[in-house]
Amino acid sequence: MQERDAILKRKVQDSAEAIPPEKLLLLEPIIEKYQGSSSYLIPALKEAQEMFGYLPMEVQRKLSMGLNIPAPHIYGVVTFYSYFTITKRGRHTIRLCLGTACYVKGSKQILEIINKEVGINVGETSKDGRFTLEAVRCLGACGLAPVMMIGEDTHGNITPSATLNILEGYQ
Amino acid sequence: MVTLTIDGVKVTVKKGSSILEAAQHVGIRIPTLCHDKRLIPFGACRLCIVEVTSRGRTRTMPACFNPARDGMEVATDTPRLRDSRRLQLMLLLRSHPLLCPSCDAGGDCQLQNLVFEYEVPELSFGRQSRYFHVDNDSHFIRFNMNLCIRCGMCVRVCEEVQGQSELSFVKRGIESEVSTDFDRTLDCEFCGQCASICPVGAISSKWLVGTGRRFELNNTPTVCAFCSLGCSLTLGEIDRKTAYVSSSPDSANEGNLCVKGRYGWPFAYSDERLTKPLIRKNGALVETTWDEAIQTVADNFGSIKANSGPESLAAIGSQRLTNEEAYVFNRFVRTVLGTNNIDHAAGLGYRALKDGLAPMLGYAASTNSIREIREAEAVLLLGADLTETHPVAKNEIILASVRRKAKVIVVDSIRTKLSDRDGLFVNVPQGAEVFIVNAMIKFIMDEGLLDRAALDLRAEGLEALEESLKDYSVETVGVNFGIDPELIRNAARMFTQAESAVVILAEGLNRLGDSVALSKAAVNLALISGHIGKESSGVFVLGEKANAQGAVDMGLMPDTLPGFQSISDENARSKFETIWNSQIEPKQGMGARDIMNAAANGTVRGLYVVAENPVDTYPNRQQILNALGKLEFLVVQDMFMSSTAKLAHVVLPAVAPYEKSGTFTSAERRIQKLNPSSKIGCGKPDLELFMTLASKMGKADLNYSGYAEVMDEIASSVPMYSGVSYGRLGLQGLVWPCVDAEDSGRPTLYEGGFPIGKAKLATAEPFAGVLPKADSFRLIPCVQKFHSGSFSEWSPSLMEVCPSGFAEMNGHDMAGLGVVDGSDIKVTGSGGTIILKVKQSRRPVKGTILVPYHFSSNNLNSFTDWGSTEIPIKVEKA
Repeated sequence: MQERDAILKRKVQDSAEAIPPEKLLLLEPIIEKYQGSSSYLIPALKEAQEMFGYLPMEVQRKLSMGLNIPAPHIYGVVTFYSYFTITKRGRHTIRLCLGTACYVKGSKQILEIINKEVGINVGETSKDGRFTLEAVRCLGACGLAPVMMIGEDTHGNITPSATLNILEGYQ
Repeated sequence: MVTLTIDGVKVTVKKGSSILEAAQHVGIRIPTLCHDKRLIPFGACRLCIVEVTSRGRTRTMPACFNPARDGMEVATDTPRLRDSRRLQLMLLLRSHPLLCPSCDAGGDCQLQNLVFEYEVPELSFGRQSRYFHVDNDSHFIRFNMNLCIRCGMCVRVCEEVQGQSELSFVKRGIESEVSTDFDRTLDCEFCGQCASICPVGAISSKWLVGTGRRFELNNTPTVCAFCSLGCSLTLGEIDRKTAYVSSSPDSANEGNLCVKGRYGWPFAYSDERLTKPLIRKNGALVETTWDEAIQTVADNFGSIKANSGPESLAAIGSQRLTNEEAYVFNRFVRTVLGTNNIDHAAGLGYRALKDGLAPMLGYAASTNSIREIREAEAVLLLGADLTETHPVAKNEIILASVRRKAKVIVVDSIRTKLSDRDGLFVNVPQGAEVFIVNAMIKFIMDEGLLDRAALDLRAEGLEALEESLKDYSVETVGVNFGIDPELIRNAARMFTQAESAVVILAEGLNRLGDSVALSKAAVNLALISGHIGKESSGVFVLGEKANAQGAVDMGLMPDTLPGFQSISDENARSKFETIWNSQIEPKQGMGARDIMNAAANGTVRGLYVVAENPVDTYPNRQQILNALGKLEFLVVQDMFMSSTAKLAHVVLPAVAPYEKSGTFTSAERRIQKLNPSSKIGCGKPDLELFMTLASKMGKADLNYSGYAEVMDEIASSVPMYSGVSYGRLGLQGLVWPCVDAEDSGRPTLYEGGFPIGKAKLATAEPFAGVLPKADSFRLIPCVQKFHSGSFSEWSPSLMEVCPSGFAEMNGHDMAGLGVVDGSDIKVTGSGGTIILKVKQSRRPVKGTILVPYHFSSNNLNSFTDWGSTEIPIKVEKA
């Protein structure tokens, strides 16, 4: 039975570096603002993520204590919405479209070159903290396929080699 | 009421009932995987779909959350529905590992049963393996979320019933699963409700792994022996040894249990259980035979009685004895020992019932049943931390709070889990709850929020109460305790303006302060607000141990015979003299406190202690040790070598509650039958010991053929039990008063009036005006949900979760003292010094520390005294 479970046990992601307790004090104004109104969990999480860039365990626990909302509930909300993240994100978020049109026009090759050259897969952040890669279904610009967004900038009609040049522009 | 037709059967149900409930009402089964009557319908599994024809249109819809309507024609089992359910099951099986032969739930898995019932022929979808949360490290409970079918019952029972929310749905879509935050191990109440409700093997009891499966268990229904709520238990045995404990969904507690009930039982298998009688020879306790031990007890009690009279003997019973044992013990003490010096629970644990409720209302018992609390609109908790003391009653408050939007008013010296609920938290020093209640009454009177005409018809003594309250005002009480007076006003408005409201008190030997005054104030408040004598209202006094109510009913008190009949009442005495075939001394005996004083000064020379541990639980440890040390002869009858047993001259091993027969009467007056499981230890049942001793002491007529015969005698002598007999005690038992063989019991008391004519309002305590002292810390003895103070310390499972006593402190105090979680602190008070580990907690307010009272090693009762209300202490970093 134990063996069976061990086989089925999935690899758990390493948690990001710990946030020092004094930095957590930054959450106090948010807690004060939303205390007693548990329906404001999402705005509170949004503000916390804007402050830290991500919502690691310590931040969620602190909010749980302060807002008196069970920690599993907060974790459930954070993992439900793709807007929230529990791992540290890169300075630039690459949103590569893998929708039908882009896929047909070769976005898979672009994904492979980012895999190879930047060393990250979908959902991961590069070691130097530069990029976080996300795959999206459609960016609504199929006429420009294949398309990717970096931060707020849209890049269309890209090729694998052009991709690397584009990435050069984001340090 | 609405009437509909289900599979051709006409059904009439309450408006608002679901189609599923209507079908269950007439015994038509609709398959479900995500439904439980305790939970709000969820509609996730889609197996309960039915075909509904209404106004000429036929549609399929889930039966669990669609309300039954007039004129509906419902079909529950058509070929189309069977196909649909089969498809649904195939989809569920798509990612469910088919390791059924090695699964813990095999044979008792609802998914497996339905797949069998619906004859799923093949798995026509591609299999998909996904990997989810597995946790083998939490206490008692084991998670393998790969088996989970996302019915959400665990998440819902944890949130809706337990109010805990330890589990949540995490992630999204195909990756969604049930887990804690960051997949950590459980850190919760460990009530095991999630494991018991899981329809498959995803959440299960660790102890069954490798032991057996649920369908192999040999089940015995019995009653939980920890707190006074009387939850029914099902002991599942494999090879004549308990392996799994559950509770029937049809029981009064609806299958809900707490950690002690579900996982506390291993104390019965503890190696430390006494196996042989012990006798003191040359200063040490040595093993002996039953014959020698019993003979020694009979000889010594006999000689003390002959030499210095029966009043030099005394006895202390317990709330752990069954009704039958308590009754026979009472007879034994009053007729064989010949003394009225009998008491239990330190003479404190039942005072609120006997001296508070009984003279005012008529019965020394809670007025309503526990299940009614969920329908109340306001709940007033007076120093009752039910999360820790009576967890299953806490569930009722969660239900009231979530479903009825009830206001929860907590008046307490500690911040309890329930003070987070919608309502009010009035923080007062320990023992000062009574002043808040009196201030509330005063406010209600001054504002004219009471119906005087209606009150006059039901109760008397309003003028005297008004007069006694003249020193009270919301402002003076508020200012005195540093509470915003508006908080007290709001509490009074909330309570008195609610349609139905309950007041809850929890008694226990950890409670300091005057519980009689508090219970009187509570009854006054309930009476003037009109919250007595109707459903979902009333006053609850929840006792500490399993048979707290029964011990009172059976008269384990110096001045009372069974059935609240006074010892000084000539008629009552002569009735029992006839039944017991002996003289009864008319003079009132001594209570526990007087017995201890008399033992210390030599007036009481022999003491018989049954199932009680005064050294660890009674106030003023030094005094108790001194008193018991002076005794010429002390007999202790217990399961374990308790601190009291260590001082005894003879120790008689008793049996575990799971091996017992008899009945317990719960805090809601429910008389329920215990059934013995396989024999575990070598002890003897208390009843047998009393009878053997009686015959050795020359009273061979104190003899019963068994527990049923004792109950028949109780029925003939105790009016509230008149209609009770073993043949009538089913799974739900009977609620007293049950006056004849047709009577099904009365869960709500005083609906038609009071047995004493009119209820008697009590006068209020004068306002003492005690000022909370800010300069020193206060120690508050509390209860820890994993422990009970009697046998939990011998339960390896409970000790695994909570191994030792600790001091709970709030973060501000800890920072002020310069200590962190896990540091040692030195607590100095009148009883000496103890070193405790600190645990950060939200529960204590500033300037207080909480220490659980049931760890004998802490000697916490050396800090308390009879009648003390507060324990000032000095706290230092150790």
